[in-house]
Amino acid sequence: MAVCVAVIAKENYPLYIRSVPTQNELKFHYTVHTSLDVVEEKVSAVGKALADQRELYLGLLYPTEDYKVYGYVTNSKVKFVIVVDSSNTSLRDNEIRSMFRKLHNSFTDVMCNPFYNPGDAIQSRAFDSVVSGMMVQAC
Amino acid sequence: MSIPDYMQCAEDHQSVLVVVQPVGIVPEDQFFRIYKRISSVCQQSIRSSQRLLYIRYRHHYPPENNEWGDFQTHRKVVGLIAITTCASAKEWPQTSERFHGQKEVFGSTLYDSRLLVFGLQGEIAEQHRTDVAFYPDCDSCPDLERRVEDFVESIFIVLESKRLDRTTDKSGDKIPLLCVPFEKKDFVGLDTDSRHYKKRCQGRMRKHVGDLCLQAGMLQDALVHYHMAVELLRSVNDFLWLGAALEGLCSASVIFHYPGGTAGKRAARKPSISQAADSGKRHRPGAQELLIDPGALTTNGINADTSSEIGRAKNCLSPEDIIEKYKEAISYYGKYKNAGVIELEACVKAVRVLAIQKRAMEASEFLQNAVYINLGQLSEEEKIQRYSVLSELYDLIGFHRKSAFFKRVAAMQCVAPTIPEPGWRACYKLLLETLPGYCLSLDPKDFSKGTHHGWAAVQMRLLHELVYASRRMGNPGLSVRHLSFLLQTMLDFLSDQEKKEVTQSLENYTSKCPGGMEVITLPDGLKFPPVPFTKLPIVRFVKLLNLPVSLRPHKVKGLLGENMSSKSPFIYSPIILHNRGDERCKKIDFQWVQGAVCEVQLMVYNPMPFELRVENMGLLTSGAEFESLPAALALPAESGLYPVTLVGVPRTVGSITVNGYHTSVFGVNSDCLLEGLPGVKTGGCMVEVVPSLPRLLLSTSLPRSPHVAASEDISSSVALQLFNGETQTLTVTLDNIGTETLETLELSSKIISTKEKLLGDILNWDIQEAQSHLPLLPGCSLSLTVNIRVKLDFSGQENLLPDLSDDGISVTGLPISSPLRQVLKPRPESKALSADPGKNEHTHFKTLEAVMTFKYSGGGGHVEGFYRELCLGIHVDVEPSVFFTRVSTLPATSMRQCHLLLDVFNSTEHELTINAKNNQDLLLYASECQRMAIQVDKFEFESVCVQPEQSQQQWETERQQAQGSLINSTLSILHPSLQREGEASVEGVLNQLVLDHLQLAPLQWDVLVNGKQCDCDIVTDCRVGDPVSLEVKLTNHSKKEVGPLALTLVAFQDYQNGIQNHDLQDAVTFIGSNTFYIDKVNPTFSSTCTGALLFLYTGDFYLSIKFQDDSTRRDLPPAFFGLPTVHIRALESPIENGA
Repeated sequence: MAVCVAVIAKENYPLYIRSVPTQNELKFHYTVHTSLDVVEEKVSAVGKALADQRELYLGLLYPTEDYKVYGYVTNSKVKFVIVVDSSNTSLRDNEIRSMFRKLHNSFTDVMCNPFYNPGDAIQSRAFDSVVSGMMVQAC
Repeated sequence: MSIPDYMQCAEDHQSVLVVVQPVGIVPEDQFFRIYKRISSVCQQSIRSSQRLLYIRYRHHYPPENNEWGDFQTHRKVVGLIAITTCASAKEWPQTSERFHGQKEVFGSTLYDSRLLVFGLQGEIAEQHRTDVAFYPDCDSCPDLERRVEDFVESIFIVLESKRLDRTTDKSGDKIPLLCVPFEKKDFVGLDTDSRHYKKRCQGRMRKHVGDLCLQAGMLQDALVHYHMAVELLRSVNDFLWLGAALEGLCSASVIFHYPGGTAGKRAARKPSISQAADSGKRHRPGAQELLIDPGALTTNGINADTSSEIGRAKNCLSPEDIIEKYKEAISYYGKYKNAGVIELEACVKAVRVLAIQKRAMEASEFLQNAVYINLGQLSEEEKIQRYSVLSELYDLIGFHRKSAFFKRVAAMQCVAPTIPEPGWRACYKLLLETLPGYCLSLDPKDFSKGTHHGWAAVQMRLLHELVYASRRMGNPGLSVRHLSFLLQTMLDFLSDQEKKEVTQSLENYTSKCPGGMEVITLPDGLKFPPVPFTKLPIVRFVKLLNLPVSLRPHKVKGLLGENMSSKSPFIYSPIILHNRGDERCKKIDFQWVQGAVCEVQLMVYNPMPFELRVENMGLLTSGAEFESLPAALALPAESGLYPVTLVGVPRTVGSITVNGYHTSVFGVNSDCLLEGLPGVKTGGCMVEVVPSLPRLLLSTSLPRSPHVAASEDISSSVALQLFNGETQTLTVTLDNIGTETLETLELSSKIISTKEKLLGDILNWDIQEAQSHLPLLPGCSLSLTVNIRVKLDFSGQENLLPDLSDDGISVTGLPISSPLRQVLKPRPESKALSADPGKNEHTHFKTLEAVMTFKYSGGGGHVEGFYRELCLGIHVDVEPSVFFTRVSTLPATSMRQCHLLLDVFNSTEHELTINAKNNQDLLLYASECQRMAIQVDKFEFESVCVQPEQSQQQWETERQQAQGSLINSTLSILHPSLQREGEASVEGVLNQLVLDHLQLAPLQWDVLVNGKQCDCDIVTDCRVGDPVSLEVKLTNHSKKEVGPLALTLVAFQDYQNGIQNHDLQDAVTFIGSNTFYIDKVNPTFSSTCTGALLFLYTGDFYLSIKFQDDSTRRDLPPAFFGLPTVHIRALESPIENGA
């Protein structure tokens, strides 16, 4: 269902980005990259209001003609971005939320790996398979 | 209306539009100079009222946009200023005609117009016309601004009259229906009397009046009118105009809330004096903006009308409402396809307002909407403009990435394939503007810190585009720079295939325009710093290498304080002050020599999947002059750490700091400084250069040794194989191959510690001969002869050697024995021993190593006290030749001599001949052992022992050595089969007992027969019947006095078969006593006693002299009393022949 999943570091560079292989990968790079503007805007807006108990899920960042871009920010300011096809109307907010939660859990596992150097690109196979699961699932 | 004005903002609603246009031929720069002066009059306070009129100037305005003037009056061209040049009066009518033609274009809407004529003089210029102004030229028109102000004032008057006209026009007269161009045909045949229609007319007119009020500076009235219009139009569902009314309401509110304007960059609006005072407060968004602001009152010129104040606050929209209304308006516009431009402009205006309110999220929604507004067929230029504006707006709301995205789209649009003449220059310029959005700085320094952070895929794409655009622009230098940057910074992200492609295209570009280290500056002042290829290859380690051992300079020691650290008062302290400062600048503890080739080792690494050719790689240094000798290298693919040595020659004396290196890779020259490189380790980069020294090349007559001697300091070495005792001559040739004259030469040698016991020096030379050649000019050579002589221990102590068993000869002295030998002793021996089992052990080699050190100096270095060392290692494999398995002595007939018996074992595989001084040759077959006797003179040890203070042990060894060397000269070994010869020494073989026997007694006994010295083997002849005088002389060489002594003479005959006949009373008779008495003899004195005897028969007689009394001998060793046996042959006298 997701066509692109990205993990972005606190400093806004990609730790992980994977998209549906059939489509132009660079396009998703652009999509995710530009979505960071919105993420930043949302984070700063929320941050002002409720510093402690803010919602990690940012919701729909912006819709494009073909895709919907959703965002999620961990407490350590690591961003997750999921791009889904706009034609896929079956996806509800709840499903997106659960996808993010799964992603977050898997990301936590990656971070727990003592051999992983925070700030490096994620190369974990387990994480990869979780992402693959998300991309295939609804098809 | 198809051309949107993206620069519009909400406050433009209150301005009047004036078009400034050239008529006829006006030079462009002249026109814009005038235009600039005109447009400086952009707001005008009207004298009669205290209102402000804002003017918007355009030099180009499409007439079809003018047609929308009724819809929104700020779109209406109300003034025209024509600018013309007129050289002569003749041209005047034509110019005037043209001006009128121009007026026609906007004729329907124009309130007033002006013509500015430049260059015309004379009577025509004299005439006074309000709408025409004459100026001699464009520089001398001081009252231009004043004229424009007049003009604006006249516009205001018309505007004001129109406003009043419309406002008061409330009679029952039919209100005309205002409509936009595309509506006109819709209303044909409509019932004009219906209530619906009337309301529509009313509503539209209200809105129109609102516009006019706004333009005329009556904000409050405008708000009221807009509100009414909204009410009216809402009821009749006239959505387009409802939208316009709402937008008008928004605009008015924005003008009220944000007097500073929303245009942002275009700071055209001059804040009036009162505004400036509290403008800071006004910019804040929020509810308090609604409060009545005294500053605003004066500004808007409505303070006279105090009654409206309450209404003002009520009518004005709150900032939140403004956005709501904008949304609504835009949604209404969206219903009409033909109102796309209006919708788009409304979006843009709303975004500008939101940007001021800092509500980026909502602004982005408006922009998102704007992106999808379809304006039909747009020209490429319009598309570019549109994307650029979108980009600017995104930038305005802080969405830099989005802004960069659209800017890039705009850039791509500039060179879209559909465009006949692609604007590469514009494309490139736009692309450069996107760089900050993608967090890309074109300065490689920003990338050298730590790991790469950024969107590599996107950045790479952008860099590729920059490269392509700059190439199409016709600036290959730029493309090389960008491509180098791409390669340098994105190397980690390039796939192998991409690496190949990028380098290939880089090579293509550099073939036309080589890349260098200069900063590229664009015409607009943008600077591109150079991109040094610090990753091609990656340098991991930089190490300055010491000179080769033979070329290293050494400081002459001896100057006090030279080696002492002046920092500490202590000669030695375990506490070392660690200077942890700058490791890079740390001095290195060796020196380089001026004029000598010096090396720096780099560990480099090729990250590319193919062979990397690095050309012209050299060092960058500062300090003393350094001539770098560039190297070219080819690093294999993914090489891993690869050592590279860069060389150079210091040309002057001083200190040199290695700052970095330069390379030329793919045609790009780069200077890489070490300090900027991450992860480079150095062992110090600063080195001292000492003055030049001569350089010698050493060659020897012997072949060079492949195996280097133990010490690493050896520059060259020779190896040879010698038999123990052999001597070899080595000729050492020293060539001065440097540029300095050799002035001093010293030679020393050192034997590398060995377990072997070595007898004497191995190396002997004559330095004087060599030194006589000094000074040695460059190119000359001198030679030196060195004798190599090996003399190891000849006692094969640790060897299992066959020996000769005692064969009955009385041997005084102990065998040189090992415990093993003791065990073997009972074995019955045969002389020719087949020693096969032990053979290998005998022939094992012993190794001797020695180092000859040549210290030489000259030139400038000599003055400074430096010298160089050249070491020649000499490696000698010593093959055992002979062993002395056993040594013993046999007294000789003479008391002054003695026989040394040596059991000589030939341990070689060849037969050899042994020759002692006066012996015949002894042929010794391989592994054969034979005894040989050498007659040796006894040794006067007193002469050696001259230093009484020496310890006993030293004394012993000294004595041994002296003795050994005496005997040594008598023994020579010959290898006939190999034509080699040598000497064997018994030096280490002799033991105390043997020595005791070899030693000459301190009491010298001389026996004289008939006045002739008589010794062991000398036979004294005498006649039968003649008395033979016998004299015994004792000379005391010892330190003590000796005596008194009594001697007895005994005569006997030796039958040479072991039987001695002592019964000789009738054959020999003593004349006088046969006993001598010697009194005390003091040291160095001598005493003589004489006697005589008579031989009665012929024959061989022996006389032995014996001591009678033993009492005196007790305290002296028996050897002291060794008296010779006198051998006398009594011959028949010729007289007594008959007897």
